[in-house]
Amino acid sequence: MKDTDKKANPFASLGGALRKGAAKVKTFFRTLPARIKEKFAGAKEILTQGNGKVAASMCVMGLGQLLYRQWAKGILYLLVQIAFFAYFILKGAGDFIGFFTLGVTESNAWYGIEGDNSVIMLLLGILSIIALVFYFVIYVANIKDAYRIQCAVDTMKKPESFKKELASLLGKNFHKTALALPIVGVCVFSVLPIVFMIVIAFTNYGGAVVPPALVDWVGLDNFGKILSLGQFAPTFFKIFAWNILWAVLSTFLNYFAGLGLALLLNRKCVKGKTFWRLFPILAYAVPGFITLIAFKFMFSYGGPINQMITGAGGTAVGFLDIDAKWTARLIGLGVNAWLNIPSGMLLATGILSNVNTDLYEAARVDGASPWKQFVRITLPYVLFATMPVLISQFIANFNNFGIFYFLRGGLYMDGYFLASDTDLLINWLYNMSIDNNYYSIGAAISIIIFAVTSVISLTVYVLSPSYKQEETYQ
Amino acid sequence: MTKRKIRPQKLFGVAITYLAILAVCFVFLFPILWLVLASFSKTGSIYSFRGFFPTEYSFDSFVKLFSDTEMYNYPRWFLNTLFISLMSSLLGTTLTILTAYCMSRFRFKSRKALMKTTLVLGMFPSFMTMTAVYILMTQFNLINQQWGLILIYSAGAPMGYLTQKGFFDTISVSIDEAARIDGASNFKIFVRITLPLAAPMIVYTLLSSFVWPWSDFILPKLLLKNKDLYTVAVGLMALDNTEFSRFAAGSVFIAVPIVIFYFALSKFLINGLSAGAVKQ
Repeated sequence: MKDTDKKANPFASLGGALRKGAAKVKTFFRTLPARIKEKFAGAKEILTQGNGKVAASMCVMGLGQLLYRQWAKGILYLLVQIAFFAYFILKGAGDFIGFFTLGVTESNAWYGIEGDNSVIMLLLGILSIIALVFYFVIYVANIKDAYRIQCAVDTMKKPESFKKELASLLGKNFHKTALALPIVGVCVFSVLPIVFMIVIAFTNYGGAVVPPALVDWVGLDNFGKILSLGQFAPTFFKIFAWNILWAVLSTFLNYFAGLGLALLLNRKCVKGKTFWRLFPILAYAVPGFITLIAFKFMFSYGGPINQMITGAGGTAVGFLDIDAKWTARLIGLGVNAWLNIPSGMLLATGILSNVNTDLYEAARVDGASPWKQFVRITLPYVLFATMPVLISQFIANFNNFGIFYFLRGGLYMDGYFLASDTDLLINWLYNMSIDNNYYSIGAAISIIIFAVTSVISLTVYVLSPSYKQEETYQ
Repeated sequence: MTKRKIRPQKLFGVAITYLAILAVCFVFLFPILWLVLASFSKTGSIYSFRGFFPTEYSFDSFVKLFSDTEMYNYPRWFLNTLFISLMSSLLGTTLTILTAYCMSRFRFKSRKALMKTTLVLGMFPSFMTMTAVYILMTQFNLINQQWGLILIYSAGAPMGYLTQKGFFDTISVSIDEAARIDGASNFKIFVRITLPLAAPMIVYTLLSSFVWPWSDFILPKLLLKNKDLYTVAVGLMALDNTEFSRFAAGSVFIAVPIVIFYFALSKFLINGLSAGAVKQ
């Protein structure tokens, strides 16, 4: 009983999940004042208890440390301060102001005026804000550090030497060292573009308004347009319903087929496992776009399947025609499974190799059937280890661009605004923003989608056993 | 008595297993076989096939692929792709494994917040940010540069750390604790104990972060304008429709390195080294 509950947990009991989520949000807001107070207690302590040297660090980063004869650290902080000021005075301040104005001089080739490029100004403005935040974080760390030294000196202890602190970066604070680079990379190449796109949703960028024309802030106008203009809303809801269905179906199909294949090849009686595994790997190795083009050809009118049908006396079938709603959808589902099952199998095989084999032996001694062993041992373990992957696969399928772009791209249908009935939201967004220049509207729609998907999967993730009991199998 | 009863049943089970495996293998093999045969077809056009198979076979398309490089410089594209994929795979895997390890083993203040943030970020449709990425790369002067692609691929890789974290969560911490009592630093534990135990997961990460740049077409298409810098994916998509057998030959050829990788590394992939380590 318990295991079936576990199996159905993530998606079936969504109602309960939402209720629990709501309760969590409630407690979050109830405890918020207390937690803010707690946060500021530290700041208050530093402000009231800190001595002159801490105050010196507040004015000029690193000065307090230097006064305490912590040379290396003091100089490092000082260098950060100088570098930041140089950047901000020479470039940052202008970028920061540009973020709000988005340019004032329009270019005019006639008079030879080189105007402002609003889009680049927007991006550089965001960059300058990120730089400001980084500076502030380092600034606070600098003050905290000065206060820590003061406390150490006051209690007659020797403050930690710079060497020792450096050593702690491989010991106690290893996570800080290890995470620094990934976090910076993600900030620049993932967060920054995302912030940029969010910001775009509140401008009139797109259509006729692209540089060299000046872009302006328009507030919530784009969202208003989506809700009031008749052309967007019906298409949105039709595509949205299909998109949810697609994501659920394809995720479950791929996941359990991949797991099943791994288990099948893992059976003791199977000889030459490496050889058999080669076939799915072959499918995995061929780049997706090649397979997709190949499949499109296979199902086309002149393609081999139709040649065989006509050869047997039938008439050619338009598998991917404009009116082939469900055949096209099913082919998409099948092709997607073909593409994704191999990687699922690889992952499941890797995880299965880590299952505690003693458990199976114990189960065999107790006379448990293979099916029972699967439901009671394998499935809970695999689900536990892969629940996060399952969620990210759900998202990946929700935003699966390639399948219908290659199989049926570029179809515009009646009843849909710039889309067809197999298109997912991501394809619709592509049609809107890349093919038809609706940048800001596209960005606004992507924010709506993003809100929906993130709420669903965050709730599922937070309530899943892999998040709640991380240590279960450790 | 009982032995005789079980045996035919077992045989039946084995037969069913093999039948299922054969069916699965056929499904996976067939489209590829079709593509391989197409690459050996004598005429280049898509429409000169009888059913699934070409009417005449020859090696011409492969020879042409590597000799006729004036219009389509396939060897050059191939080397470009190899370089970009290798570098992104190495860098990306390093970052991913580090991130996953920290998220699994350390309990620091902003950990849960970070985990939720990455999950939310991952939900954002990635190509919606393409315009932004493009403008960003112009600012950094990384358009038409292979390193620009490598940077984007490897910097984005840690976002997918959850698989690896899930794996680290299932590795017992008792070995770590034993080593810590013996005075090992966290860095030493990571290098000497965790990494060897995580070998299957590292191989998986290497492979999957190699395959991504290997078969991506959106990003290279956006960032590489110079024909000599093309990756195979962009190059093959730029091929003319009448060059179908060249397209097939080119696609067959880029599947080869992955297959070799698999053969060389499958041992790591399947038999987790932690099989012999302490559990629970």
